[in-house]
Amino acid sequence: MPDYGQIAVGSGTLDARLVIGLAAVLFVLGAIGVLIRRNPIVILVCIELMLNAANLTLIAFAAQLHNLDGQLFALMVMTVAAAEAVVGLGILVDIFRVRDVDDIDELSELRG
Amino acid sequence: MIVPQIVFWVMAVIAVLGGLGVVLSRQPIRSVLSLVAVMLALSVIFLMLSAQFVFAVQVIVYAGAVMVLFLFVVALLGPTRERPTTRLRFQWGLGVLVALVFGGFVYALLQGIGFRAPDKTSLNAFGTVEQIASGLFTTYLYPFELTSILLLVAAVGAIYLSRGGRTASEVHRQEEEDQGA
Repeated sequence: MPDYGQIAVGSGTLDARLVIGLAAVLFVLGAIGVLIRRNPIVILVCIELMLNAANLTLIAFAAQLHNLDGQLFALMVMTVAAAEAVVGLGILVDIFRVRDVDDIDELSELRG
Repeated sequence: MIVPQIVFWVMAVIAVLGGLGVVLSRQPIRSVLSLVAVMLALSVIFLMLSAQFVFAVQVIVYAGAVMVLFLFVVALLGPTRERPTTRLRFQWGLGVLVALVFGGFVYALLQGIGFRAPDKTSLNAFGTVEQIASGLFTTYLYPFELTSILLLVAAVGAIYLSRGGRTASEVHRQEEEDQGA
């Protein structure tokens, strides 16, 4: 049975498991960042890191399956990420206009 | 040929170091610049995986536009540093726990993964602008239009959030001051 995990790259091949492993490492780094960092800007940056890792898996599977759908989904993920960054940063600037926040745990007014 | 492996490993090392920089930097500006390094490294891997158009979009829109937006906001808000103490001390332990659990899942997945046989499509004209466009404007026309609506909503929301004049919280604070006086 042939190993379908090998992706043809130019004249050589690349193991899809390596690419997915890299994406997993980056995603875990982003998730850790969201959990342990408290600066709101850094948390947004870590979310972008996770979205990029997800894009990498989409494109790796698109190349492995010879199917373009993964790349189209990666483009849509980029659109959603851009919209998320714009709205998130807009909210942050609006909050910072009223007061300085260097710890996101300070923003707990909505707690019931 | 071993060249693809070499390029991949170099870019993977850059990306992981950049990711560590994002998480561990004390200053937000270094996090943002580390993320730019991650994105550029990933864009090279995209190019290797025959995704030319996504590569271009990643460099221009993501590493270019979105990250410049982040840099603007960091520069606008000034240097902020995290204080070493926090009210939620268990966050570090929780973060490490999540990392271990998720990493274990991925390891198990990669051990038992079975790849399906690829489709018959030729890789020669794969990921070009023409192919992307024909996919976006035929099969995925409705999701494409929905993303444009999403972008419109995000633009309107950003303009609303950053408009001049008093914000709702400022109005609220003013009312509180009036009551106090």
